[in-house]
Amino acid sequence: MATSSHSNPDPAADDADTTPPSTALRQQVGSALPNQPSTPDTIVTSMAPGTPPAAQHAAATGRDANGAARANALSNMEHVVDLADSVVCIADDLHERILQEIASYNGRTMPDAQKALLRALTDDELLLRQYAHALYANATTFVIHDLAQPQHRLMALTAQAAEKIRRIGVIGEVTGLVGGILLLVGSIARGQFSQVGAALEKIQLHNAALKTLKPGSPTKT
Amino acid sequence: MTRRVLVLVGLLVAGCASTGQVSLGEVREFANASARLGGYAELSRRYRDTYERESPYLSPQAERMARDTDARRRAVFDDFVAIQKTLVLYMQTLSLLAGDGRYDLSGRIDDLGSGLKAMTDSGLQQRHVAAYTGMSRLLTRVITSRYQNRSVDTMVRDGNADVQTLIDAMIVLTRIYEKANENERKTVLGLFNAEIPMANRNADRMLVTLAKVHLQNKTAEYKLIDRRYKLAQQGLTKVALGHQKMRENMDKLSSEETRHMLAGYVHDLNLIRDALSGE
Repeated sequence: MATSSHSNPDPAADDADTTPPSTALRQQVGSALPNQPSTPDTIVTSMAPGTPPAAQHAAATGRDANGAARANALSNMEHVVDLADSVVCIADDLHERILQEIASYNGRTMPDAQKALLRALTDDELLLRQYAHALYANATTFVIHDLAQPQHRLMALTAQAAEKIRRIGVIGEVTGLVGGILLLVGSIARGQFSQVGAALEKIQLHNAALKTLKPGSPTKT
Repeated sequence: MTRRVLVLVGLLVAGCASTGQVSLGEVREFANASARLGGYAELSRRYRDTYERESPYLSPQAERMARDTDARRRAVFDDFVAIQKTLVLYMQTLSLLAGDGRYDLSGRIDDLGSGLKAMTDSGLQQRHVAAYTGMSRLLTRVITSRYQNRSVDTMVRDGNADVQTLIDAMIVLTRIYEKANENERKTVLGLFNAEIPMANRNADRMLVTLAKVHLQNKTAEYKLIDRRYKLAQQGLTKVALGHQKMRENMDKLSSEETRHMLAGYVHDLNLIRDALSGE
């Protein structure tokens, strides 16, 4: 599943008993996705953050025909910078949301499971920031071709995602969404444009899932 | 009779001189101030070393990603610095042409020889690379001709477009450095902002105290560096504007107005330089 970016031991979660609930929660949110298509699993495998770029490249080559059009999505330095800025924005919103959650305990002791969840989200935030870094580096390191339209779609979607994070009522629901965003941004940051389409669908699925999870909440975009 | 001839010759010489040999003091000052403007090189190094500062705060996963980005930053660093070296050499050459003997440019031409190393990959747009090549050619011509054609006028006219493009590249890069630094700050400080309030057991007290001290220091460090990005961008903008104005007023360099304007840029550049070196 795409929901968790944490396939490795998490040093922040120092209480051994707290890690499983976090993972379980995150997977649970992920499995709540309606009409899960069969393709994303392979995408998730090839896209898992931390997989060596070479392996990912190999996985991506089969889709390069499709990817060629999208390769132009990130049309020039300015656009890549804009995209990186919006990833930073999502990370900021996530951070804000985490702090809100912590503040809501108002000095009361937080259950370990909740702490683990928040730490996992903090790790996701760090990863998002690394993706933003990669995009900034891309902006300085690639001369990129022109084609602005898919770029605008990406921008709109990341803006929507940021809005969702702001509005979501229960912190646990953020995890699935963040998983989708990590996939999306990860594929762009690594220059795997062929994967961008799948990641976009993923984000839309998560958005849909969130709507069904929170009926009546002010999450419309 | 001889005297009259001498006077005549003197007048002729003065007449010739006044077309090219206008007051170049302000040009010289401007070129010097531009060559000495700091900021960019230091901020380029800071950008290159992002990973070094950030890595202790990263999760293993983020750390792997960061290492990858680190390699990419390092691969293009030399090119980013080459742009600045070229601009500095241009300004020093201009200063020499304008009659300042303080720079020795012999051997400096080697700096230009290799060109931009990783052109296809270097992140600079095609026009930046073209400007770099154009400027290198101009400098090679001026420096190796042993200043036979000591013409500030020609150099400024020929060089202006490339100067503008290279400074534009430096400003764009500085802007990206600034954004990356902001993202780094949030990475480093954000971790503490989340962890400190969660650590509320008695056993955590010492750790929390140390964390707060560290957070204070880091906050101060980022606050200081923040200002430098703005200053560097301001300085580069002044250099670009000053050179542009000089180009536009090439035929009336000795007019009071032009000299006053150039002196204004020199004044601003010195203020910015002082602010950059004062911290």
